[in-house]
Amino acid sequence: MGRIQLDQLTKRFGEEVAVEDVTLDIKDGEFLVIVGPSGCGKSTTLRMIAGLESPTTGNIYLDGDHMNYRVPQNRDIAMVFQSYALYPHMTVHENVRFGLEEEAGYTADEMDERVVEVAEDLGIEDYLERKPADLSGGQQQRVALGRAIIRDPGVFLMDEPLANLDAKLRTQMRTELQRLQADLDVTTVYVTHNQVEAMTMGDRIAILNDGRLQQVGDPMTLYHEPENQFVAGFIGEPSMNYVRGHRSDGQIVGDHLEYPLDDRLASAVDKTDRDEFVVGIRPEAIDIRRAADGSASGPHEFRMTVTVTETHGDRNVVSLTAASESADHEVLQAVTDGTFVVDAGETVLVTVNPDAVHLFDGATGETLCNRQLETEHEPRRV
Amino acid sequence: MSQSKPNTTFDVASLVEDVNLRRVGQYALVVLFLGFFLIPLETGIMTALKTNESLVRSLPFAPPVGDGFTLENVRYAIDTLSHAFVNSLVMAIPATIINVLLASMAAFGLTMVKWRGQMIVLVLFLIGIFVPYQAVVVPLSNFWNNIFPLARMLEPIFVMLPYFEGGHSRLVPLIITHVAYGIPICTILFRSYYTSLPDSYVEAAKIDGASLTKIYRRIVLPISKPMFGVVFIYQFTQIYNEFLFSLTLITGANSPEATVTLILPSIGVSTSGINFGIRMAAAFVAALPTILLYIAFAEQFAKGLQTESG
Repeated sequence: MGRIQLDQLTKRFGEEVAVEDVTLDIKDGEFLVIVGPSGCGKSTTLRMIAGLESPTTGNIYLDGDHMNYRVPQNRDIAMVFQSYALYPHMTVHENVRFGLEEEAGYTADEMDERVVEVAEDLGIEDYLERKPADLSGGQQQRVALGRAIIRDPGVFLMDEPLANLDAKLRTQMRTELQRLQADLDVTTVYVTHNQVEAMTMGDRIAILNDGRLQQVGDPMTLYHEPENQFVAGFIGEPSMNYVRGHRSDGQIVGDHLEYPLDDRLASAVDKTDRDEFVVGIRPEAIDIRRAADGSASGPHEFRMTVTVTETHGDRNVVSLTAASESADHEVLQAVTDGTFVVDAGETVLVTVNPDAVHLFDGATGETLCNRQLETEHEPRRV
Repeated sequence: MSQSKPNTTFDVASLVEDVNLRRVGQYALVVLFLGFFLIPLETGIMTALKTNESLVRSLPFAPPVGDGFTLENVRYAIDTLSHAFVNSLVMAIPATIINVLLASMAAFGLTMVKWRGQMIVLVLFLIGIFVPYQAVVVPLSNFWNNIFPLARMLEPIFVMLPYFEGGHSRLVPLIITHVAYGIPICTILFRSYYTSLPDSYVEAAKIDGASLTKIYRRIVLPISKPMFGVVFIYQFTQIYNEFLFSLTLITGANSPEATVTLILPSIGVSTSGINFGIRMAAAFVAALPTILLYIAFAEQFAKGLQTESG
């Protein structure tokens, strides 16, 4: 009862294109996250589904019904706003009840009962008589959710609902939202600029940039098989390392690094007639050894200098620069085990396994070749 | 701070230490301005409390002494103005309430609802602010007396009411005129407040299926309470103190429906000269309602101004 289809949706504000040619099919009961940097058109897309903006061209279908000209109220949707949009002069009870008042088929008593029911579900039954200003951010968030849930809609639309919470509460509410969505089994479209939220919450993720849909897929696919350089860089924290260079004699030669191609990468390179390429490698896929452990042995090992170490506790993020260079130009970031500590200035041996390397077209950013996944799993089976 | 003395005795030197020319200058300026603003007020009050004789013989701002003190002026002013008071309030209170309500609705429609041609309507409102009263006095009088003589139509009804006389029906066109004239400025005041409210209030209500009327009544109206305070006080003062429209639409100072502002110019004036004591007393009595209003709503007024700017 909540399938959403967006068909070549485009929205222009005057000359400016906010959303361009977005086609998406969201399954019933699915949790879809729309993610992208600010100004990418993700909120506009959501507001078009809600009916707060009308599309310039393209069509919106909910359950196969054409929605373009329907007012929000008749779309069987509920929306949670980033600012929560709680009415300051009403109590929590009145706020939650407000969402129900225009629904047909409830008597006043039934409405009040339903409010209490929803409040118990969300753990806000003790605050029903308070005003929103007397609640903490997390509690306000719950009230906003309550106002959406109470209408029992076919679709939930959420516009950065966790953006105003502190980090710890955000993690907690993330889990709670997921539980709630699973319990209610309602199609949810969730907009965020936070890739961690997108990765952890979404059944599928749609990545937008400059109003254009970059890729839609489940989190693992986006992480391991990005369709272009933007997706690869947007997903993952710290973001993927890029080494830009041109092809020369079986190597990609960049300003600070020369990376030899193995057969897999070479064949991908051979398929195109370009000569500008970007080598992408996730910080997690880079291995670091102390230089004292030996000299650079393989062709994919490099001697590099540590410039900065960020300690996270469970892991360390190490910034590296080519050994011969001065320390002002950072070439790679690598993630190491939390117990592996190197100091700035130390020289280390860096292994970049060619199986874990992504290769992008230097001009268009399109993916030419993604990492091989098997190698990641094989050693663990041994 | 002087180090030689123990703390137990009050150290006068520590106060004197800070005195310099700059500070003296600042305080002198403060006192000067205080006097500048307060002396006319004080003079007015003193004049109102003096007999004519004492007024002539003492300085204007000197307090009345002995036989010179009298409350007769105040009593006379209250007596003369009491009917006019009722008239003014009967006119100003409904006019302000209707005015503020309509202006708030108009502002809601001009800010929180999107429709074609909204800008043109807003510009019309803006122009409305700048039409001078003097320019419309003649057409206004012509309209209410010849084209649409509402006062004459309502006269029989007013005759039947207790307290009122037939002439009071002239207050109705005056109320309507004030409402029409006050709406532009009040709308702009409300508009500035409504544009500062988050759009999501209205959007959330729309998604919940609330009609525009419901959004206005249940959300916008209660939220804009502080702004209502500000606009109400402002507009009440404007209407209560207004003179030109009253002069145009009401027959004269001696008619039963005359408002306070209409009587004030002639009070205490006779062939034997001007009685300043009575004039001053009347001026203070006339100002009383607006002063009381400010005192009563001071808190809300401050709050409204805060929210408007913040």
